[in-house]
Amino acid sequence: MASRRTARHDAEHGVRFSRTIFIMLIVVSSALIMFDRPASRSVAFAGFRASFTDIAAPLLELAAQPIRAVKGIGPYFRMQGDLARENAELRQQLIEARYWEDLAYRQRDRIEVYESALNVQTQATQDRIGAWTVADPRGPFVHARLIGRGRNAGIADGYPVINLYGLVGRVYETGERSARVLLLTDLNSNIPVMVDRSNSRAILTGDNSEYPRLQYLGRNPDIEAGDRIVSSGDDGVLPRGLPVGVAVPTRDGGWRVELYSDQAPIDFVWVWPYVPAVIPQREEAETASAEVETDLPAPAETAPVEAGDTAQPATEEGGQ
Amino acid sequence: MRKPQERSAPYWSALGCVLSVVAALLFQAAPTRLIEGITIMPTWPLMVIFLWSGLRPYFMPPIAVFAIGITQDLLTGAPMGIWALSYLVSISVFRFRGEDGMPRDLPPIVLRFGGTLLLAQAIAFSVGFFALGEMPHLQPLIIETIASILMFPMLAFLAVRRRRGSRSGFIGG
Repeated sequence: MASRRTARHDAEHGVRFSRTIFIMLIVVSSALIMFDRPASRSVAFAGFRASFTDIAAPLLELAAQPIRAVKGIGPYFRMQGDLARENAELRQQLIEARYWEDLAYRQRDRIEVYESALNVQTQATQDRIGAWTVADPRGPFVHARLIGRGRNAGIADGYPVINLYGLVGRVYETGERSARVLLLTDLNSNIPVMVDRSNSRAILTGDNSEYPRLQYLGRNPDIEAGDRIVSSGDDGVLPRGLPVGVAVPTRDGGWRVELYSDQAPIDFVWVWPYVPAVIPQREEAETASAEVETDLPAPAETAPVEAGDTAQPATEEGGQ
Repeated sequence: MRKPQERSAPYWSALGCVLSVVAALLFQAAPTRLIEGITIMPTWPLMVIFLWSGLRPYFMPPIAVFAIGITQDLLTGAPMGIWALSYLVSISVFRFRGEDGMPRDLPPIVLRFGGTLLLAQAIAFSVGFFALGEMPHLQPLIIETIASILMFPMLAFLAVRRRRGSRSGFIGG
């Protein structure tokens, strides 16, 4: 008892902030800042960060539950009139969506025919991995989210992350049970995009504001306000055609993008395990084509099967 | 001469300190943006550090402040050391040094917290500029600062009230 009282007495009257430890910790903090810069972060530091988020993810997931519950309560307090109007709009959209659904099925069938004819092995049909956001820290330095699934679920660094409306970002710092998603608005985010209407290329660069910048558009870019911006897939990391947002002109003559993914809070996201198509080696391709030429007179077998669908390309080739 | 209740084990206070720190860190990282309309987030960890360093200084030694800062860095995805450094420096400059620790009146506490907050944000901004190689976005810092200044008096009022009620301290002990 006496020792405890002495300790408390000492603590309250003097030894509160040890100067030696304080200076030591300042030095450690400065060293950490030096070595943990995003541009030059080592594998060891990245691994440590991923391990930490693995440990913290279950706790964060637990803490996020009440917030999700509060989010669910919100719609109950909306005006009934708004709900009725929203319902009518959704019904109208559903009717329109049926048409697009039908079109999508027909296009899918058509693509399958082309793929089988060309013997293409595409990754596009891979299943997306659903994940909940467990942490959404905001701040001036990093725009990132923590999701509650990691390598165990098949997630790896670089995979694109999308929500219901469009591209959200891409995965970095993947742990066993958690992964961090670098948002398109982050300072370190640079992705190649294009204007859907004109195919004009640009780089979408985050600057921690809500509207990332469009850079390297060229001298006379073919872009207009309201143009749809999609990923171009030029870097080989992201697939082509992912919806990103809408082009918005700025006062200084530049362009920014209003992101589609911001239309709703990013709660549930899909990670797309996209592996870019590898360009085959020239020699291998030539060898393969030589084998095909020598082994079989194949065109006679495949041509009648896809006669209906491949008629037009065959005509075009013939024309050329 | 201390009152008998002051000599009781400060375990409840310690528990309160740990829980409040954990809650502050979790809430700082929680996906509160899911709720439409709520996008402001005060710097809860700094508030907790500041209050506990005034109420029970021996619960907030430099190593604890450092650990909280590092944890916040890791949770938010910021380069490690930014918040640790800014909290360490700002708390060391503005902490209450008198024998009685934190005063029992609200205005000086709020004023001193304002100084701590501004210094912490200034350090975080400049260190972040160095670490990222680009100017950090100023808007979130300003929002955090304003939200913290608005929210802190409520927490401080509760702390001071408890302190007035029981001479020895905040929760429990």
